[in-house]
Amino acid sequence: MPRGHSYSGLSDRQVGILFIVPFLVTAVVFIAYPVAQAVLMAFYSINPLRPGDATFVGLDNFYYLFDDSLFWDSFIQATVWTLSSIALQTVLGVALALLLHVPLRGISVFRGLLLFPYIVPTVVIALIWRWMFNPEIGIVNHSLMSSGLIEENVYWLSTPTIAMASTVMLNVWKYTPFVIICVLAKLQTIPLELYDAAKVDGAGVWQRFRDITLPQLKEVLVVVVIFRTIWTFNKFEEIYLLTKGGPGTSTFNLAIYSFEQSIANLRMGVGAATAVIMMGVLLVGSILYLRVFRFAEEES
Amino acid sequence: MSENRSGSSLSRRTFLTTTAASAAGLAAAGSLATHPSPARAQTKSGVVRVWGEPGPYAGVAVDGMNEWAQQNAPGLKFEIETIGWGSVYVKLMTDLAAGQPANLISVESPLAYQLMAEGLLEPVDDVVDTIGRGRMIEGTKWEYWGNWKGQQYVVPAHHQPHLLMVRMDIINELGLSNPDTWTWDDLLNAAKTIHEKKKMPGIALALGRNLATAYYFAALLHSAGGRMFDVGNKFEVVFDSPETVETLEFIDRLRPYMPRGATEYSFLQVVDSMVTGEAAMVFYWGRVYGRAAAEAPEVFKNIESFNHARHPRTGNRYNWNDFQGWAIPKQNNPFIDEVKQAVAYYQTKREWLIRYVHSLVPNVSPVYKDVAEDPRLLDHPFFETKKDTIMNYYVHSLKHASNTGNELLKGVNPLAGIVHGRLILAQTVQKVVLDNWAPSKAAKWGAQQLESVRKEHFRLVI
Repeated sequence: MPRGHSYSGLSDRQVGILFIVPFLVTAVVFIAYPVAQAVLMAFYSINPLRPGDATFVGLDNFYYLFDDSLFWDSFIQATVWTLSSIALQTVLGVALALLLHVPLRGISVFRGLLLFPYIVPTVVIALIWRWMFNPEIGIVNHSLMSSGLIEENVYWLSTPTIAMASTVMLNVWKYTPFVIICVLAKLQTIPLELYDAAKVDGAGVWQRFRDITLPQLKEVLVVVVIFRTIWTFNKFEEIYLLTKGGPGTSTFNLAIYSFEQSIANLRMGVGAATAVIMMGVLLVGSILYLRVFRFAEEES
Repeated sequence: MSENRSGSSLSRRTFLTTTAASAAGLAAAGSLATHPSPARAQTKSGVVRVWGEPGPYAGVAVDGMNEWAQQNAPGLKFEIETIGWGSVYVKLMTDLAAGQPANLISVESPLAYQLMAEGLLEPVDDVVDTIGRGRMIEGTKWEYWGNWKGQQYVVPAHHQPHLLMVRMDIINELGLSNPDTWTWDDLLNAAKTIHEKKKMPGIALALGRNLATAYYFAALLHSAGGRMFDVGNKFEVVFDSPETVETLEFIDRLRPYMPRGATEYSFLQVVDSMVTGEAAMVFYWGRVYGRAAAEAPEVFKNIESFNHARHPRTGNRYNWNDFQGWAIPKQNNPFIDEVKQAVAYYQTKREWLIRYVHSLVPNVSPVYKDVAEDPRLLDHPFFETKKDTIMNYYVHSLKHASNTGNELLKGVNPLAGIVHGRLILAQTVQKVVLDNWAPSKAAKWGAQQLESVRKEHFRLVI
């Protein structure tokens, strides 16, 4: 049998392609086609109740968006929601991962428990949080009141600024475990010799963290932050289930705006145009981010 | 009905001919439905999906339809899917866009009007002929549920007004006058007095970005003499008016006496506030009584409902009445004929209709005279202590009925469904109560949104 050929008579290259085919087919059917379809729809006026009556409108849907103050409000709110969620998740995730990296008896139980928020379905979490945040009977107000931290009920989901903070809290609570898992996995691969050598050289805790741990975590943090940013910026269900974008439109993000335009306003084209803009923003943001951290170059 | 599509041994034409001939009298129609001829036996099988709003009544109706299925199409099973009020529009539009709506939907009239004008519903004049066109109770018309360009698209399920619900023990304790005589000023004064003297919210209304807010606002707007559209004048937008401003101002004046979280309240929170004793007054449909009886007997004992407070100038006291009905989506619906026959059967069986009304007294009001006058209707414990309230919901509310789809009952408007979907009325209210806009500015904003709806969907009404 010639070198580079399998028993089936296929070359290694052909076998490789064969293995890739299922992924390619899946990617085309479930990613490339819907994306292409969404981009196409962005240039049409489509009423979802009359999908057959689509008319080409060029860039009108984009002009509509740029002229709509709610789009810009949603854009800003999406940015605030994403940046604050990611910043808190990253800081908390790293801090908790460092704590969980300490070799203590029973630490694996804590590691397992920390996965709980990540495992529970979002709809369950959102409903539980709605109860917890209930101003009259929720446990959050009850606890704060009992401990003397507040004197009157806080309207967590009825006050615009606090509602945004509440949605961020939910997102942080649910997804910090993801950061912890990734960081913890990386922490366990850092050679202990590096720390021993640093100690010998007289480096303190902070110096060891800054000069050894953080650089070692850089790659994993870049990946985690980029994924979490994409997922959070696109997030729909948490905000929708918790506040439905309210009070008013104070917790609208672009995903909710797109949904409202498509289904409630029956402007499928505008909804698609919003999605195209979201895709563009994330694409540009991701490339810039990778460039800043020179991640791709280091990988190569 | 095509033989091929339905698989039925009887064509729709034959069915109509048979039933039309029998429609001379209700008894005859009832008899026909009760004793279907063997020729009408169905061979189709599967699940017939039925959408209903929360509550036991749609389930009762489905039980009645399943009785028809057992006798005529044993392979079919009608199954209820309950959709929350706040989710109806989104769920409906999503499934219609996907081409997979339920086979039968129970829907409030403004949404039904939109769907029928869009051409998405099956006409049901044949079913109406079977049911009997002369059965409607006084003060109602078939068109209230859904008639467009001479064709009926909706079969009435019930009528359902919201009224002013009051804790009479508190009213009496504070020496306030009979709520049935109140004007807006009296209502405001009562809310204020209760708030100040009882240290509790005088009134709880929904002010969130949801349909409940729209329903409350619309009733007040109509009482003030305002409207969204002028149906008689090419559906011109007439929302930017002194009446709209006055209504928004009134809500803003009531707000200090509402729960602080009212700006996020929807249907459920308003029910909660009454049943838990948090608030002394609400605008609500009759379902509160069922829950109060089960969970808070003291509250149940003390609440009564009245027609709304009169507007000081117009004297009007409009409510919001859903005029909830059964509609049959025609898109990808393989069970149209079976659904029609099942609905006709259920609607001509008085015992099922009484059971339907009894399932949630006094939330679902009867729509047929023979049902309303049937002595068995009174055979419910609530009639012993709440008869006046029940009669207010069932009968006396009708002369003050209105909704956004048929404002002041001056004509059907299919644009109202889209207004609901976009939550324009609720957003207009929120501009005032949440964003602190001047009512006049909010009215202008609302009018612009309505104009946008009219412009985009004018084809529906021409």
